[in-house]
Amino acid sequence: MEHQYDCIVIGAGVVGNAVARQLSACSVTIAVLEKEQDLCFGTSGRNSGVLHAGFNNKTGSKMARFCVEGNLEFDRIAEELDVPFKRTGKLIVGFSDDDKNSLRAMKAQGDANGVPGLEIVGKERIRELAPFIAGEFAMYSPMTGILNPFIYTVALAENAHKNGAAYFFACPVTDIFYQDGRYRITAGGRNFASRWIINCAGLESDKISALLGIKGHKLYPCRGEYFILDKKAGQYLGIPAYPVPNPREGGLGIHLTPTIDGNILIGPSSKYIEENDNYSVTQDIMDLLIKDGGRIFPYLKREYFIRNFAGIRPKLVGPQEGGFADFVIERRSEAPYAINLVGIESPGLTSALPIAREVVRLIREVEPLKPNPGFDPVRKGPPAFAGLTNGQRRALIQQNPDYGEIICRCENITKAEVLEAINRPLGAATVTGVKYRCRPMMGRCQGGYCQTRITELLRQEKKLAVKEVLYQRKGSNMFTGVALK
Amino acid sequence: MNRRFTCIVCPNGCEITAELDGGKIVSVAGARCKKGGAYVRQELTCPRRTFSTSIILEGGKLPLVSVRLTKPIPKEKIFAVNELIHRQKAQAPVRIGQIVLENVLGLGSDVIITKNADRLS
Amino acid sequence: MTAIHKEAVIVGGGPGGLAAAVKLKQQGITDIIILEREKQLGGILRQCIHDGFGLTRFGETLSGPEYAQRFIDLVEQEKIEYRTDTTVLSISPEKHLTAVSPQGLLEIDSAAVILTTGCRERTRGSVAIPGERPAGIYTAGVAQTYLNLKNIMVGKKVVILGSGDIGLIMARRFTLEGAKVEAVFELQPYPGGLARNVEQCLNDFDIPLYLSHTITDIIGGARLEAVIVSEVDEQKRVKPGTSRRIECDTLILSVGLIPENELSAGASVALDPRTGGAYVDENFMTGVEGIFAAGNALHVHDLVDFVSLEAEKLAEAAAKFIRRGKLPVCGIKLVTDKNIGHIIPQSISGTKDVTLTLRVGRPLTGGALKLQQDHQDLLSQKFIKLVPAEMIEIKLAKELIKSTSEIKVVIAHE
Ligand SMILES: Cc1cc2nc3c(=O)[nH]c(=O)nc-3n(C[C@H](O)[C@H](O)[C@H](O)COP(=O)(O)OP(=O)(O)OC[C@H]3O[C@@H](n4cnc5c(N)ncnc54)[C@H](O)[C@@H]3O)c2cc1C
Ligand SMILES: Cc1cc2nc3c(=O)[nH]c(=O)nc-3n(C[C@H](O)[C@H](O)[C@H](O)COP(=O)(O)OP(=O)(O)OC[C@H]3O[C@@H](n4cnc5c(N)ncnc54)[C@H](O)[C@@H]3O)c2cc1C
Ligand code: SF4
Repeated sequence: MEHQYDCIVIGAGVVGNAVARQLSACSVTIAVLEKEQDLCFGTSGRNSGVLHAGFNNKTGSKMARFCVEGNLEFDRIAEELDVPFKRTGKLIVGFSDDDKNSLRAMKAQGDANGVPGLEIVGKERIRELAPFIAGEFAMYSPMTGILNPFIYTVALAENAHKNGAAYFFACPVTDIFYQDGRYRITAGGRNFASRWIINCAGLESDKISALLGIKGHKLYPCRGEYFILDKKAGQYLGIPAYPVPNPREGGLGIHLTPTIDGNILIGPSSKYIEENDNYSVTQDIMDLLIKDGGRIFPYLKREYFIRNFAGIRPKLVGPQEGGFADFVIERRSEAPYAINLVGIESPGLTSALPIAREVVRLIREVEPLKPNPGFDPVRKGPPAFAGLTNGQRRALIQQNPDYGEIICRCENITKAEVLEAINRPLGAATVTGVKYRCRPMMGRCQGGYCQTRITELLRQEKKLAVKEVLYQRKGSNMFTGVALK
Repeated sequence: MNRRFTCIVCPNGCEITAELDGGKIVSVAGARCKKGGAYVRQELTCPRRTFSTSIILEGGKLPLVSVRLTKPIPKEKIFAVNELIHRQKAQAPVRIGQIVLENVLGLGSDVIITKNADRLS
Repeated sequence: MTAIHKEAVIVGGGPGGLAAAVKLKQQGITDIIILEREKQLGGILRQCIHDGFGLTRFGETLSGPEYAQRFIDLVEQEKIEYRTDTTVLSISPEKHLTAVSPQGLLEIDSAAVILTTGCRERTRGSVAIPGERPAGIYTAGVAQTYLNLKNIMVGKKVVILGSGDIGLIMARRFTLEGAKVEAVFELQPYPGGLARNVEQCLNDFDIPLYLSHTITDIIGGARLEAVIVSEVDEQKRVKPGTSRRIECDTLILSVGLIPENELSAGASVALDPRTGGAYVDENFMTGVEGIFAAGNALHVHDLVDFVSLEAEKLAEAAAKFIRRGKLPVCGIKLVTDKNIGHIIPQSISGTKDVTLTLRVGRPLTGGALKLQQDHQDLLSQKFIKLVPAEMIEIKLAKELIKSTSEIKVVIAHE
C-alpha cells in the first residue's frame, strides 16, 4: 500500500513539527516521517532551551531575521501552545578590554538586527540581575528567555496532528525518487507518495538533500556537552549567563542557563566529531565545563551534578573555517517540489516558526495554498500537579484519583500525568518519551524511584512484553526478559 | 601452614587466621566470638551456605514471592537446589514460613516462603 | 480544609518508622499516624529478600521481608493508624504536614514529626562516568526492584561498578538467576561492602573483585555493548596503559547511598554534609524543635537491626518531648578529626549516658579511638582495624563528661 499526501515532512524535530503545523493551517494533506520512535529524539531534545534574542547573528542573515522574529512573537506562541516559557533576560559577562570591545560590537550588531533593549551594564547591575555571577561588565539583553524545548516540540506536533497532520514513527527515509509528478518515498519498510517534500532531517539533512538530487551540502557534526545541576544550585541563577564568545569556535561559549524547571545547565562545549549520532560525554570536556563554568559561577560545587548529556550541531562549516554559516532554506531547480532545510543549528529552536512560515512562502511561490478553515492554533497541555495550589490539587484528585498518586518523588509528578503522557494523541512510546513530556526521571534521583513504575505503566498501557520496553532509540531495550517463567 | 578466612556468620566478618597442620587446626586467631572457630572447622570439612531466591506466585498482586533455606546446605549443592526451587510455583495467598520444599534433596533444610502475599481480588 | 491534629506523625513506614511507631505506642503516646508512599509497609526491606537481617535485634537470621513483617505485625497488634499510598509533600518548621493520596490531600498539625524516609542511590550522573548513554545502566537497587519484585531481568552479561553491599548482593542474585557477572570494579583500594558479602556473594561464585579500578568509557549507542575499565593510582588518577574492554550488556552501579531529605529543606532542618542527613542531638532531634530523624534518612546503615534500635531510642526521647513539650538542651558539640567520616549524634547534653555511632573515613590499622574534652582524654578504645563499611559504636557514660565544652573525637596512631 502507498500512503498519499500533498506534503511530506521528513523529521519530527522542532523544525519539522513547526513546518507541519504551519502547513496544517492550509488546505493540504500532510504526513511527518520520523526515523525514531518518538518526537524530539534529535537536536531539539538536546540544547540549551534558550529563546535567543538575535544579536549573535550577522545582520541581514536569515538566522538574524528569523531569530528576532521568533523571539518577539514567543509570548503569544507560548500562550497558544501552552509551553512553559519565561523572559528571563540574559547577561554576557566580560572581564577584559577585548571582551568589552566584543560586547560593544555585539550590541551594535544586535541593534542593527532590531533586537530591543540591549545595554552595556556595570558590575552593580550584574549583582542586581545575577548576584552569584562573576564579571566586570556585561551586555544585558532583556528579551532573551528560556523555554521547555521538549514541550515546545511536542506541542507543535500535537497541534499539527490535531489540525490533520499524520505522523509515522520508526520510519527512516531511505529512498526518494520523482515519478509522474510525485515523490515516491521508502521509509521504514513503507511506501509513501507526495507532491512536496520538506527536508527537516536535522543532522541527516545533507543525506536527504543528496537523495533529492541536491548536491553540495555537507554537514559537520559538532558536539556540545553539558552538565545538569540540581535544583539546589538553581536558586543561585535566574538568568542565563554567557561569556563573550570566541568567534573561531562556532558556539556561544560555555554558559550557564537556568532551565524552565529550575535546574542549571553548564555547557555546551564545542568539538567536531566523526559520527553524527555519538552522544558521548568525555572526561576532558567534563573537566573543561567545570573550569569554564566555575569562572562565571564561582559557587559551582561537585555535589550539584545530577547528569550529563550532549547535543550535536549540524554545522555547514568545518573545523578549518569555524564560526557560523547561515541557515539553508531553499527550493532548487534540481528538486523543484522540495523545500530543503540544511544546517539548522542554533538559533534553530527560537527560529522554528519563522522558518516554517518561510517554507510555506516558498511553496506558495509555486502553488497557491488555500487556508484550512478549521485550523485551530490552540493546544492545551495537561495540568502539572507540582505547579498547582492545594485547592486545585484537591479538585483534580476528586475528578481523577490518579492525580493523588506520586510517581516521581523528586518532582512530584503523578500517575495521572504519566498516563496522560502515554495516552495522549502522539503519546510517548518509550521511557524517554515519558520523561520528555512530563519530566519524571529528570530530578536528582534520576529515576531511582520512578523508573520501575514508568516501565510498568508503559507495558500496561501499550500492552508491551517485558522485552519490548525501549529506553529511547531502536535497539535500546531496557530488559532481556522475565526472570522466572 | 596458615590460611585466612572471612567469617560470614555475622556482619562483623572477622578475618580469621587458622594455623593448620595437615587437615588439623592448631589454632585460630582474629575471631571475635566462638562461632568463628566453628565456622573455620566447617569451611575445612564441608563449607555450607544458605541463599534466597524467588518463585512464581500465581493469583497474587506481585508476580513473585521470595523464599529461603532454613538451614545451610553444602556449598556445591547451591545450583542444584536453586534449580529445583525455580521449578516450584506458589498459589496466593501465602504466608511467611509456609514450606515450599521439605528437606530439599535430603540435605536437612527446608525451603520456606518469606513474604505474606494476599490473593488479588 | 482544616488540618487534623496528631501527637506524632511518622513519615516513612520502613523498619525505622515502624519501630519508632511501636515504641511510641508502648510509651503511652497513642495519637500517632504512619504515612507511607508505597502500597505496603516495610520500606526497602520488601526487596531485600536475602537473609542476614535480625541477628542483633531478634537473635536469628531472617530475610528482609520477614524482618519487616515482625514490625508490621506489631503495628497491627498495637492498632497503630497508618496510611499507605500516601506521599508527604511538605513539612513546615511549624510541623504542618501536607500529604497526598488517591483519596485527596491530607493536612496534619503535629506535636512531633519523625523522619524515617530512608535513602536513595547515587546515580551515573552524580558520579559523572564518561561515555555514551545507552540503555542497560542501572543502579543496584533499581535492578533489585526489577528482579525481586517484578520478575524482570535487566541483562545477561553484567559488570558491577562499586562494591557497596547492594551491588555485592545483586552479583549473587544475578548469578542465581542465570546471568553472568563478569566482575566487580571498585575505585577505592578496599571494598565498600561488608567482608562477609565479598566472601559469600563474590568469592563463592568466582566473581572477581578488582580494587583501585574504575570505568573510563561506556560503549553502545542503543543498548550497552561494553565498558572500558582502567586501574587508578592512590590519587584516583587513571594509570596509563591499564585500560581494557569488557563486553557486557548491563552495568550495575553500587556507588553509594544518600539519605533521603527532600522534605528537610522545606522544614528548615539543617543537614550535615558528612552524613547527608540532619544534624541531631542525643534525642535524635534535628535543629528544628519537635522534628526527629532516624534510620537511613539520618545516616546510611548497613544493618537494619541498628535502624530499628536507633528508631526505638528516638521514640523514647520523642515520647518525653510530647509529654513535656521540651527536652534538655544539648549544648556539647561533638567534633571529629579528618579520620572520622561522620558521627551521630552531633551534640549531647552531658546529662545522660549516650551511644555514639561513627564511621571512619578510610581503613585504619592499629591505633586508638579517643574522646577528648578540654585537652583531656575522656575515653580511649584500642583497635586493630577499622573500615568505613562498618559502623562503630562507643558508649559514653555521663560521669566522664566534665564540662560543657566541645568533645573531640580523634584517632591516635600508635
Ligand atoms: C548544543 C546545542 C545547543 C543549542 N541551543 C539552542 C538554544 O539555546 N536556542 C536555540 O534557539 N537553538 C539552540 N540550538 C539549536 C536547536 O536545538 C536546533 O537548531 C533545532 O533543535 C533543530 O531542530 P530540527 O528539527 O531541525 O532538528 P532535529 O531536532 O535534529 O530533528 C530532525 C529529525 O529528523 C529525523 N530524521 C533524520 N533523518 C531522518 C530520515 N532519514 N528519515 C526520517 N527522519 C529523519 C531525526 O530523527 C530528528 O528527529 C542548539 C543546538 C545544539 C546542538
Ligand atoms: C537496597 C538495600 C539493601 C540492603 N541490604 C541490607 C542487608 O543485607 N542487611 C541489612 O541488615 N540491611 C540492609 N540494608 C539496610 C537496611 O535495609 C536499611 O538500613 C533499612 O531498611 C533502613 O530503614 P529505614 O526505615 O531507615 O528506611 P527504608 O526501609 O528505606 O524506609 C523508608 C520508607 O519511607 C518511605 N518514604 C520516604 N519518603 C516518603 C514521603 N515523602 N512520604 C511518605 N513515605 C515516604 C519510603 O517509601 C520507605 O518505605 C539494605 C538497604 C538497601 C537500600
Ligand atoms: S567470628 Fe563471631 S563475631 Fe566474628 S564474624 Fe564470625 S560470628 Fe561474627
